[in-house]
Amino acid sequence: MAYVATRGGEYAIEQAERLFRSDLGPITRERVEAVRTGLPYLIDRVMGEASLYEPDLAALALAQAGGDLYEAILLLRAYRTTQPRIAVAEPVGQTDLFTVRLISAAFKDIPGGQILGPTLDYSHRLLQVDVLKGEDYVPEPVIPAAKPAPATQPSLTSWQKAQGLIPGHAAQDVAPDDIPDLTREPLLFPAARAHKLQSLARSDTGGTLALGYATMRGYSSVHPTVNELRLAEAPVRMRHPCGTVFSAGRVRVSQTEVISKARELELGFSATFGWNEVKVIAAATLDLASSQPNPHPAANEEFVLYHTEPVESSGFCIHFKLPHYVTFQSSLDALRRVKADKSADAAKTAVNEKPAARQEEVAL
Amino acid sequence: MKLQELTKPWVAFNYGFLDESAKREMRRRILKAIAVPGYQVPYASREVPIARGWGTGGLQVTLTLLKPTSVVKVIDQGSDDSVNASSIRKFVGRVGGAVETEDTMAATIIQSRHRIPEEKLREDQILVLQVPDPEPLRAVQPDLSVAREMHGDADYGQLWLVLYEQLVKSGRIMQGSSYPSMVNRRHVMTPSPIPRWDVPKLNQADHLTILSAGREKRIFAVPPYTSVEPLVFDDVPYRVEDHQDKTCYRSNVTGFFMNELPQDDGSSQYELSDSHFGIKHIRKSEAEPVAIGETWYNNGKMD
Repeated sequence: MAYVATRGGEYAIEQAERLFRSDLGPITRERVEAVRTGLPYLIDRVMGEASLYEPDLAALALAQAGGDLYEAILLLRAYRTTQPRIAVAEPVGQTDLFTVRLISAAFKDIPGGQILGPTLDYSHRLLQVDVLKGEDYVPEPVIPAAKPAPATQPSLTSWQKAQGLIPGHAAQDVAPDDIPDLTREPLLFPAARAHKLQSLARSDTGGTLALGYATMRGYSSVHPTVNELRLAEAPVRMRHPCGTVFSAGRVRVSQTEVISKARELELGFSATFGWNEVKVIAAATLDLASSQPNPHPAANEEFVLYHTEPVESSGFCIHFKLPHYVTFQSSLDALRRVKADKSADAAKTAVNEKPAARQEEVAL
Repeated sequence: MKLQELTKPWVAFNYGFLDESAKREMRRRILKAIAVPGYQVPYASREVPIARGWGTGGLQVTLTLLKPTSVVKVIDQGSDDSVNASSIRKFVGRVGGAVETEDTMAATIIQSRHRIPEEKLREDQILVLQVPDPEPLRAVQPDLSVAREMHGDADYGQLWLVLYEQLVKSGRIMQGSSYPSMVNRRHVMTPSPIPRWDVPKLNQADHLTILSAGREKRIFAVPPYTSVEPLVFDDVPYRVEDHQDKTCYRSNVTGFFMNELPQDDGSSQYELSDSHFGIKHIRKSEAEPVAIGETWYNNGKMD
């Protein structure tokens, strides 16, 4: 047989993948452990965007992807989607959260007090270059407060609601299995409130920031104030079939309420897995702005939710690397015909001296 | 009775990767899509272990249809050997134990990106087309909610206007691939970015075609023996790519869709886009016993 079916493609992709993996070297338990303990805020961000709370798996995904965030998130999402949904946890309110940081920009002091918690907000952003010379950077010890703050903190909106500043909404009683679940249903518009908040909870941090920033900067009618920003550990409480509610552990969460002062006081809300302040502030702003009539595209619900999806946006962007020669050939064919038409027309004009009326059928 | 007897042994992944509830949802959406030809049915579209935009919609359909007796062919731009097609075929084999093939006639499921094979498909074969953008109205209406209403009203005036504008501006209809087509005289669909050459193959076909957009979460179908008519004006006939007289430099076959290969001397060579169809012709010319199926096009023309 003179012709051998070329299998170059399969060989090439195999070797290309090996090249990537051998550059990274062996992935060991120690490496995964180092990622998990050394980069907790990165782990948080990845868990939020993957909508899967599992620090070990998040660290493994990051190690396996060499730190490529979009690859890591795809790895986790593809794993997550194969897992059965065995139960729905009990709802968690703000006052249930074991709060480590609670700040409000709306008042100088708030019920429970402003609790700074762990933050770099007021730090001087200086690199500790001595570490590179071999001198360890050992942080100063924290001096505990004379009176520790209580583990749970009141909600500022409760006070605002009691004052009649914000209208209260009765909590809807929805059976756990009837709560819309974005991971099992398509996102349709206008989006269900649950879908919108779920979609923002697992949105791309960078994309959400870009649209949120555009909205804050002026492409919107809302000017948000951070009513409450909270970093906390949320208890995961499950209901046993016999009715007992028990704790199944805790997850780190961030949540924000932003408040608009435009017409009346309106709230925008966002919460996500992990401690990721930039994302929840941007997302809560987008939640608020997208509820206004005729929002700018940067805050339009459909525009925001579609374009901040990390797996979909990154996947589509890199798909342009795939061959497109069939579609290109098809367009080339149409372009060549137009060219041929033009030169035929020019030739005809030269012969007839005057432009002939188009009497022949216009062929495609 | 022991607890162990009631449970199944732990496995890393379900057969066909997707879990059963995901497959059940897919089957229901597929049935709905078949029941309303050309209508875009929204579906959850689970993440799969390949990137969005790389065939995740097609892959979810293939994984749902998969059974151990399936024979699967995967093509990208007409080629079985394309890197992404190889990767998807390997994955399907890995999680479903399906037999892999490159022969259109042998396949029970054909997942394809941007081409329909040249050999006619039969009633017992299913064509799964990967779709990047399921919405034919996207260019005239980027807002999905509004576009859905337009489909509901069969409001396709703006699509005709786009074609008319091309005709006025360029003297020709410039739509290359993804030619908007009316299905069952009711819904306009995009046939996915297949060339115009392939669109007539969907009309009154013997086989079922399922089109699936994973990233955009929409699935639609052309059931067997359903009309698929490209949008054309009465006095401007539909015209496929001018490939009737092109000859494949490798197989010497004329009258099928070709890949154009630019040459150093400024000329072009052509090769069959349907790669395995070409291989079969070459083998046949070397007196190997090869069965070549009936083709949609004969002498560069469709009957």
